[in-house]
Amino acid sequence: MIQLFHATKYYDRRPALTDVTLQIDKGEFVLLMGPSGAGKTTLLKLLYCATSLDEGQILIQGRNVARIRPSAVPYLRRTMGVVFQDFKLLPKKSVYDNVALPLLVQGLSAFETRRKVMEALKAVGVDHRKESRPAMLSAGEQQRVCIARAIVNSPIILLADEPTGNMDAELACEIVELFRTINARGTTVLVATHNRQVIEQVGRRIVTLDQGKVVSDEGRGQ
Amino acid sequence: MKRLVHFVREAVANIRLNRTTTIIAVATTAFTLACFGVFLLLYLNLRAVATSLQSDFKVVVYVQDGVPPQGLSELHASLKTDPGVQALTYVSKEQALTDFRAQFPTEYHLLQGLGENPLPASFVVTLAPALRSPDAVRRWAERLKSAPGVDQVQYSRDWIDNLTTIVGFLELAAVGIGTVLSAASVTIIASTIRLTLYARRDEIEIMRLIGATGGFIKIPYLIEGAMLGAMGSVLSLVMLKGGFELFKIRLGFPGRFLGIDSGFYFFSGQMATLIVAAGLLLGFIGSVLSVLDLGRAKP
Repeated sequence: MIQLFHATKYYDRRPALTDVTLQIDKGEFVLLMGPSGAGKTTLLKLLYCATSLDEGQILIQGRNVARIRPSAVPYLRRTMGVVFQDFKLLPKKSVYDNVALPLLVQGLSAFETRRKVMEALKAVGVDHRKESRPAMLSAGEQQRVCIARAIVNSPIILLADEPTGNMDAELACEIVELFRTINARGTTVLVATHNRQVIEQVGRRIVTLDQGKVVSDEGRGQ
Repeated sequence: MKRLVHFVREAVANIRLNRTTTIIAVATTAFTLACFGVFLLLYLNLRAVATSLQSDFKVVVYVQDGVPPQGLSELHASLKTDPGVQALTYVSKEQALTDFRAQFPTEYHLLQGLGENPLPASFVVTLAPALRSPDAVRRWAERLKSAPGVDQVQYSRDWIDNLTTIVGFLELAAVGIGTVLSAASVTIIASTIRLTLYARRDEIEIMRLIGATGGFIKIPYLIEGAMLGAMGSVLSLVMLKGGFELFKIRLGFPGRFLGIDSGFYFFSGQMATLIVAAGLLLGFIGSVLSVLDLGRAKP
């Protein structure tokens, strides 16, 4: 599903990711661990093509991301759902419109859009806030809306960058449970976190990064 | 259809969001187009005058004295069958004298002193539109001068030609001024769209990240630019119409001026539509220039 071969990324000649080789199979739930600045976000950004690779190769479903044409990037992104640490919700649009955006981009019918959006909102438990603007929601609710937007088009890969950052333990637990449910439906999930509670709760494959290098890869195949 | 509604909704939302910049852009575009519009009105009206004068243009073919009736008939027949002649009127010596008396009653005694009627018979010829250019008229007159029975061929179109030359210069100037002012409109609208893009850069980034193509992101801004251009041109037409009516009232123009039907004309419906379409196109070009790099994914 996802393969990295000696992936290296520099920011201003400083390596953010060095010689990372990694394979993630279809349907896996992988936790990406490491302290701040370890390269977790960079790795995720490389996967959804928000930044370019300097050395090595990345294959996603057999497609070489390093050589992908710019015009093909949007179509690759549509196969993924991304949960951003800062949510990245459109402030002037309602919760419903935010979640419907990936479907609008793909040109789905109004009927299908409504069905899928309501399904995603119900799955994350914020369907009662569909008319609200993001600013009127709590951080936890905004995170759920972000997750709903990431899963609304049934992606084959779900990437989440610190999804439980700044959340209390109870809320973090709920979010992790949500990811487990999504993973149980067959979606490959890759979560970057440094939250110990999340790691204990998930208990799956854990890839640890430090100073841009993979220092451990435990529990593969779980 | 759903996408189109989305694009138009986004364009309208952008306009409403940046109300002040929109008003400034529309007003500046309107003033710029109005400047060009004044020039265009002047050019179109002068061209109409020149065309009207050219259609009134006549050549007088004077007949030699003493030409027998058969020679006169032959000349009449040859002029009548000439493809360059659109209309033909014969003015006999007697008719010429009567006309002179009617036009210059105080000078009539001068002719009386001569005894015999000195005025020649003539043919007043209206040339076909294809033969109204200065060169064509000259060639036609030269050819006719050597025809049997013809004494002189007279025409005076110097001042018509001068007016035509002025209209030609105005046409060139209109193209030059139009190009400069169009470029100004495009720049104004491009700057407005750039401001909108700057204000919405975070949203654009989010759209990119969720898989929106460049086209999907750009189209609302292209529509916005076209709408600004169209609004600017409509406003310029309103300003021009107001100014035009005021001008007419202030000057109190008569129906005719210098013997020409000089009622000043405003743009026809078709021309006004063309101006709005031109504004729309200028706005579209302005926004195209602004969004060239937008939406390009950064792999």
